[in-house]
Amino acid sequence: MIRALALEKKFRPPGGLRELLRGRLWRDPVPALTGVTFSVAAGEIVCVMGPTGAGKTTLLRILAGLLLPSAGRAEVAGLDVAEGGASLRQDVSLVVGDERSFHGQLTGRENLRYFGALFGLSAAEARSRADMLLERVDLAEFGTRRFAEYSRGMKQRLAIARGLLGRARVLLLDEPTLGLDPRAARELRSFLRHEVVKAAGRTALVGSNDPAEVRALGDRVLYLDRGVLRGESAPDGVEAHWA
Amino acid sequence: MTEAFAPSSRPPGRLRWFGRVLMAFARRELTLFSRYRVGAVFRMLSFGFAVVSLYFFARFIGAAPNQHLDAYGGDYLAFGIVGLLAVELQQVGVSSLSYRIRMAQMLGSFEAELATPAPAWMVIGAAPVYEFGSAALRSAGYLVAGSWILGISFARAQPLSVALVVPVVLLAFISLGLLTAATTMLSRRSNPVAAVLGAASFFLSGVLYPVSVLPGWLQGVSRLLPLTHALEALRRALLTGASPAAMAPSLVALAAFAVVLTPVGLALFAHALRRARIDGSLVHH
Repeated sequence: MIRALALEKKFRPPGGLRELLRGRLWRDPVPALTGVTFSVAAGEIVCVMGPTGAGKTTLLRILAGLLLPSAGRAEVAGLDVAEGGASLRQDVSLVVGDERSFHGQLTGRENLRYFGALFGLSAAEARSRADMLLERVDLAEFGTRRFAEYSRGMKQRLAIARGLLGRARVLLLDEPTLGLDPRAARELRSFLRHEVVKAAGRTALVGSNDPAEVRALGDRVLYLDRGVLRGESAPDGVEAHWA
Repeated sequence: MTEAFAPSSRPPGRLRWFGRVLMAFARRELTLFSRYRVGAVFRMLSFGFAVVSLYFFARFIGAAPNQHLDAYGGDYLAFGIVGLLAVELQQVGVSSLSYRIRMAQMLGSFEAELATPAPAWMVIGAAPVYEFGSAALRSAGYLVAGSWILGISFARAQPLSVALVVPVVLLAFISLGLLTAATTMLSRRSNPVAAVLGAASFFLSGVLYPVSVLPGWLQGVSRLLPLTHALEALRRALLTGASPAAMAPSLVALAAFAVVLTPVGLALFAHALRRARIDGSLVHH
């Protein structure tokens, strides 16, 4: 369902005064991913584990079609991610931790209804799907509360609800329980694994640096360090690798 | 499979889909408008103050006949109000798209919106369509209010000419908007072109005085600005009842701006979007 072959990404930060004085517009390229090759089978939940700056978010954004790789190739649901396009974005949903991409002055329900239109839903469909998803992510009673007043956990749940508005077969989850208290994190992981992914026949790739999250969510773990894949293990082998 | 979380059906055709996005965008903006009432009131007040000061200025100017106004019906107040409305329309055209992109980049919602199945043109296009729609309604409201409260006469307006001029003017302004939006994305800064264009247009295009009072060489420069032709066409259609044929030079100039600038703006915008996918600046502060 997901395939990456020798995937590379280099960023070219814009130059400062020093570079401009040297006649250069850009700084030296910064490698974010180098030769990343892996695959994820349909129905599988694979966690990509690595410290901050390892390249997890870059990898997930490339697979979501939001970033172009510098070299190599990646496919999701048989579609080339570099081509992007509506077909890819119908099949893939990116859910980002530390969510702040909703409008703070709108309620959770209003935010979902707006995104529902971007997923192609009619006003009535968006309303009923938003209500159903709010119910399922345990936010039904907070649907009329403004997003700015949501707790971190509620924001995460709303982001997951948005990821399910369409017909995505692949979920890309970037630190989905970041900043949640242990109990909320445990409940959210169980909900994600059992109801959102496994019961609906989806595939998921999860970026994380939390061993507890990886153990609770994943079927398999890939280890990414400074943009390079350093191996893989079963979830219960995470402590040995992470140490 | 749990039904509630099963992937849902395919999206509709492009036009219907855009209609849904536009309606959702309008609903969102109106909801926000209702929650930021103070800002809206201040915006209307500032335009009201401009019109009131124009009213007294017009009384002062109107005390003596002015040959420069003869071509526009002779009423300075009507002349000035059409000027202010056209400036506002240009400002909407030039700024709305780039403002929307910049705000969405800063809020972090741009990437989330572009990650949905909706094509980029739908995500981005809803803002100018909505903004132009509301600006056109606002303008019509101002004209009606000006007619009732200040006694401005639009009795000579030629409906066919107005119906022809307005879309061409909007097209020309939208093409400018595409260019400024692309520069906003490429520069990752607030719109640097809009401020310069706004100031230059106000000074050179004849917003508060006819272009005919400018020195000859500056009149030549003013013809390079779409607002000059937009003002000429709008004033002649609204204030003198000029026929479409009589406004042909202005209409042709505006159409030329749209024909030349639209493909350039679209190409530059597509390049800016691709650039953002390369350097990761869909979200940037």
